[in-house]
Amino acid sequence: MSTQAATVRGGAAPKIVGFVCDWAVATADLVDGAGRLLAYPSVVLIRIPCSGFIRPGWLEDALKAGADGVFVVGCPYGDCLNREGNYLMRERIDQLQRRLARRKVPAERLQMLAHGLHDREAFLADVAAMVERLQALGAGAAAGGPARRPAAARAPAEEGGA
Amino acid sequence: MYRKALTALQRFTLRLDVAINRVYPSDWNPLYYTGGLANLFLFILVLSGIFIFFYYVPSLTGAHPSVAYLTEQVPYGGLIRGIHRYAADAFIVAALLHLFRNWFTDRYLFSRDSPWISGMFLLIFGGFVGATGYILVWDERALAVLGLFDDMLRAIPAVGDWLASLLLGGRGLSEGTLPRILLLHVGPASLLYVLLWWHYVRLRHPKVWPPATWVLVSLGLVTLLAAVIPAVSGAPAQPGTRPEAMPLDVFFLLPFWLAGLLPPGLVVALVAVTLGAGFVIPYLGREAPQEMGVRHAGVAQVIDGNCTGCELCYYDCPYNAIVMVPSPHPGLSRAAASRKLLAVVIDSRCVECGICIGACPFEALELPSLLEADVTRRVQEAVAVAEAVRA
Repeated sequence: MSTQAATVRGGAAPKIVGFVCDWAVATADLVDGAGRLLAYPSVVLIRIPCSGFIRPGWLEDALKAGADGVFVVGCPYGDCLNREGNYLMRERIDQLQRRLARRKVPAERLQMLAHGLHDREAFLADVAAMVERLQALGAGAAAGGPARRPAAARAPAEEGGA
Repeated sequence: MYRKALTALQRFTLRLDVAINRVYPSDWNPLYYTGGLANLFLFILVLSGIFIFFYYVPSLTGAHPSVAYLTEQVPYGGLIRGIHRYAADAFIVAALLHLFRNWFTDRYLFSRDSPWISGMFLLIFGGFVGATGYILVWDERALAVLGLFDDMLRAIPAVGDWLASLLLGGRGLSEGTLPRILLLHVGPASLLYVLLWWHYVRLRHPKVWPPATWVLVSLGLVTLLAAVIPAVSGAPAQPGTRPEAMPLDVFFLLPFWLAGLLPPGLVVALVAVTLGAGFVIPYLGREAPQEMGVRHAGVAQVIDGNCTGCELCYYDCPYNAIVMVPSPHPGLSRAAASRKLLAVVIDSRCVECGICIGACPFEALELPSLLEADVTRRVQEAVAVAEAVRA
């Protein structure tokens, strides 16, 4: 299943950074030495102690650094080892999606996933869906570039008439 | 050996979850609420127990007729007795599932030993309350259970006889016995709530109740069982005789069943060793610290100069490991300059999950072996690696 998925159409495989809770889905035999998913080499995973460890700012930074999408994987809702990490992270990501929407960053670029230790099929399916969606969106999460802040500059002008 | 077995059991537990989560949304997976279910059944037990208490007569001649009166004459008395009985079974099943699930999924590591130890006490007292409950019915089985209990206590060296006379209220049966058993049923049952306080005290938002659906299902289940298979007493107890056989309750009376097969001293030793092993579990550890990698990132540290005293980490920490203290001095950053409070991490409560780091918008918390700088660098590397793939 890994090789047939590896061929990404059009060559423009979206760059995705994924944070994976170490208690959630086991990825040891899904990635290579650099953390790339074997099935989707443009998806790079970083393991973290709990999904709740992620500061939303880091997700924003990843997009600014040039990633097309970011996701966080926690344990299934209700089963977080620390009881609340995944719920907290889901709320933070919802919040960040709303905040970034004001800067015209589509919500698809930020995803919260929840998969248990042995849920790898469902996890890979979710990653595949995300790759597909981002490919449809096209490249350039931070289309305005990392330094500029288009929302802050443009928003008043757009809303000025309203 | 122990670690391999645990890994296999964890695999089994989590694979079971995958299957159950296909049927229910994961928020409703009943196995995520074993603790809440046990608490629910305990609550049902308390309510039905109070009802039964008003009819029970703790005397050698009055106990059995009073239970019969409750069952046959009091409106819904039989039903409530049945609910008390089946909720007790359900309580111990839920508690054992809770124990095994938390054991197999590593939920006893770091400072989680406190809920584990209090949980072992809850199990011991819960089992004792169940056994005394069976004696209170005062039928043939009650007498047999009391006899075996007495034998087992006497088999304990040095203090055995003294313990047995504490249980019976003197040497052998007397009118003092059943009031004492009643006290030993109600007292430890109340003590369960004290132990539950200990069980929850380190947790910020413990899942104390299951979702409403499961509350209704559990209530319906015990009521249905009580209606379909009513709880009944055996023949009245005849002190001085010992019945040959008794109906067995696998959930509470397992040690008594063993006592029928093995010498009582051996049963006491077995029970003691099993429970003793239970207390040791959190200290055995499943992985060496260096094998835990990112899961053992060190106790969270407050960056004093950046802390604004906003309390976000304090609200989000699931283990009450962060307390806010009056700030002894202003912070260094502009946002922290006029702070009133300062976050302090209590090392012994921290499980190194890093949730406080995610909660802090002011970069005032760090995990020692996974600093913000490390994460930022790894994000940059990850983007570069992904870029290289595309090129």
